[in-house]
Amino acid sequence: MGLAFKEETFRDDYTYRNSLDAIRRFPFPFPEDKYMYSVNIEPHVKGKPGSVLEFPLDIDEHYVSECRDKAITLARDPGRYASLPHMMDAQWDVLELIMESLSRDYPEQFKLTKDGNRWTWQNLPLGIENTFTFGDRSSLPMEPFEYVGRQIQGDWVILDQREGTLFADAGIVTSQADWSLAFDVGMSWHQWHAPVPRATEIGVMDRALKFMMNLQLGEPVRRLNWTMTLNPRLDTSPENYPLWGPDRNHITLDNAGDRVHLRVELQTLFRLPRSNGIVFSIRCYLISLNELATYPRWAKRFHRILKDLHPDLLEYKGLTKFHATAVEWLSRYDDGAPLDIGTHPE
Amino acid sequence: MSTVNVRVAAIEQVTPLVKHFTLVREDGQAFPPFSGGSHVVVAMDIGGRIHRNAYSLMGAPDDTQAYHISVRRQERSRGGSAYMHDNVAEGSVLQITMPVNLFQLIRMGRKHVLIAGGIGITPFMSQLHDLKRNGFEYELHYAFRSPEHGAFSAQLKSECGERAHFYIDSLGQQLDIPAVLSRQPLGTHVYVCGPAPMVNAVLEAARELGWPENHVHSEQFTAPPMGDAFKVQLAKSNMEVEVTADMTLLEALETAGVGPDSLCRGGACGRCELDVLELDGEIFHHDHYLSDAEKSSGKKILPCVSRARCTHMLLDI
Amino acid sequence: MERGYRIRSKPNYETLVWKEKASAHVVVAKGAGGMAVLQLFQQMHPVQPVTVFYVRGDSTDKDYSQTLTKLVGDELQVFDTQMEALYAFYRRLPDMKMGTRFYVSGTESFIWSLCKLAALFDIQESEIVKQLSNSLSRPVYCVHCKATTPNVTTNIVACSKCSRKLFVRDHFSRHLGAYMGLMIDAENPGEVPAIEEIYP
Repeated sequence: MGLAFKEETFRDDYTYRNSLDAIRRFPFPFPEDKYMYSVNIEPHVKGKPGSVLEFPLDIDEHYVSECRDKAITLARDPGRYASLPHMMDAQWDVLELIMESLSRDYPEQFKLTKDGNRWTWQNLPLGIENTFTFGDRSSLPMEPFEYVGRQIQGDWVILDQREGTLFADAGIVTSQADWSLAFDVGMSWHQWHAPVPRATEIGVMDRALKFMMNLQLGEPVRRLNWTMTLNPRLDTSPENYPLWGPDRNHITLDNAGDRVHLRVELQTLFRLPRSNGIVFSIRCYLISLNELATYPRWAKRFHRILKDLHPDLLEYKGLTKFHATAVEWLSRYDDGAPLDIGTHPE
Repeated sequence: MSTVNVRVAAIEQVTPLVKHFTLVREDGQAFPPFSGGSHVVVAMDIGGRIHRNAYSLMGAPDDTQAYHISVRRQERSRGGSAYMHDNVAEGSVLQITMPVNLFQLIRMGRKHVLIAGGIGITPFMSQLHDLKRNGFEYELHYAFRSPEHGAFSAQLKSECGERAHFYIDSLGQQLDIPAVLSRQPLGTHVYVCGPAPMVNAVLEAARELGWPENHVHSEQFTAPPMGDAFKVQLAKSNMEVEVTADMTLLEALETAGVGPDSLCRGGACGRCELDVLELDGEIFHHDHYLSDAEKSSGKKILPCVSRARCTHMLLDI
Repeated sequence: MERGYRIRSKPNYETLVWKEKASAHVVVAKGAGGMAVLQLFQQMHPVQPVTVFYVRGDSTDKDYSQTLTKLVGDELQVFDTQMEALYAFYRRLPDMKMGTRFYVSGTESFIWSLCKLAALFDIQESEIVKQLSNSLSRPVYCVHCKATTPNVTTNIVACSKCSRKLFVRDHFSRHLGAYMGLMIDAENPGEVPAIEEIYP
């Protein structure tokens, strides 16, 4: 597997771009012209070779730069990593999941050798190598979940299952769509999702919780979620809202194609073996409207989704200020002709 | 629900009524590690009908080479435990599910009190590994009928030392549940597994002493009680299914090819829960999953253990 | 930032009533919260042992210490500051047994300071009966600088540490014991709506 990692930034000069291959494999989330919040969970089974679903955990051309951006965010705000004391078994579970998955699916980049509990981990793209004792916190330079969480794209939250619900008791969160780990850590499922509009009312959250509590070992699931971000910025946290919030004032028809990004989250859930916890991975894919419109079918579909979006969702996703501009920008790709169902680019 | 074929590598007669089975994967691969208190569901082909029983995993959770279960021969069994005792030999092949945990340790707890009765000791055999690995404070209280029926008691005595307390009924040793519960410091969790009267006694004592519900944990798998035959109508598959006296509703649905997803098959996990759309009679709820309000509403049923007396019950399946 | 939907993380408060099933009872109250304790003692007195920790009300708060001393007697301990009372409470936790029931009354800041201490002993806030005393004032966590400003009575407040103008959201963290405060004029510096007292 040849993976060429790009040198790029997700802040300041924003040099992040998608290659033609990356655009083509983008997980476009809209099979139909209408969108409403739903559970839409499916088994996380192997997808087509080359797609973001080929392996349980996807590594792409942005890996090195994304991990570097994560390190910057963590250095400026160590509170983006948090783990309550009872989560140590779950931390090792997640370390095992990530190391085994990457070394199996990307053997040229990641190597894991085991001699009983003595493990050696090599991460060639980031130049990391450590030998440690599995289960012994003191044998790693930091807590196992933070150690491995810094070496994987996306945000990770570990859920503890008790009292008939799930608690978000650990996380490493640096590329979130406007929610705060420091604030939400320790919350139960319903408290955590409290700000999602129209979801509690229609029972979506109850059904999703029931489903997740029954998640089986070895049978991970996934769903796609989406929002929009201005500039290819991973860290759209409430903590740094003063840094990125003002961008909403400067979107015009001229710059929308470049600055407005569709942000798709591939969310995957794995039952953890030793702790019986669940790890929730939120992997973010960004694509500018210009890049998206290289496949006019996608631009046309996205135009229809955005045009008819419920005002509560516009508000919740923070799209209100630039929504009209984005819709107008996309409208030139929409001739009104029907589109067949499916997320394919052509 | 993913399953795996296992071969019985060893069988040990632990007590006059209990056998310990060591299972290895038929494909030679490693099992996943698991969490203490987990169980697997063993599928047995008994005379052409697939019979499924849940058994707690007993071994060390990080032993990925073998899984261990123990089976007590039940006096009034529909055949599952008798089959395991009489028909399964070393070398036999069985099918098991991946581990599921409905009885895990609450890792926020400051102390853990384990109360076992008879074969109810099995989930604690794996939980003890988790307790020791995490360095948690615990005590074990294990009651059984007579010295020869104390499965694994010698092993527990040597591994747990003073933290293990044994109560042998034939020697007149009684476990005083309220006394044990009334001396526990804040942040203690109690876990009970054993015969229904013991489980109920622990739940009742904890309630009387003012223990919050979320500090009290129990596991009971109910052997599905038999009863009179009844018929159900299925709304989505538009058919009628007869549940004979020696069959559960879940088995009848599976035989008809319309079985819902299921896990523990003992009324504990709720996975097979069905909505009851219409009913002209009475449901006999035998599960530990639905709330009392849900049970009395007559709108839900767990087909793995519950039955009905009716002429018309329309299920949403 | 006006949001047209209800946020479910907001805690519910109730009226203090003795729990019938218990091994012991521990009541903690501050200032105006003393009234809830007086009301509790109007109910039939439980048979189990009772302990009351009370923080005297200061100049801005009501003080019920004299009435409580007469009514509660030996079971009462009175403190001059919240810090002293919470420390005394915390030191007693290791000796308490399961089955001890907890009751707290005071401002939201006080209630959640106590809940955080109890959580160290795996007593969850859902196990503690909580009654809000006569103020709706809120502790507000600044999501930007992480400081918590106690006793906020307005829709928008200046953070006590970084001075940013924070909009007080309904989203509540039990772990922090505070509501989320988010900078109101981040997108348009200086554009701050009228500040009104809405949590008197």
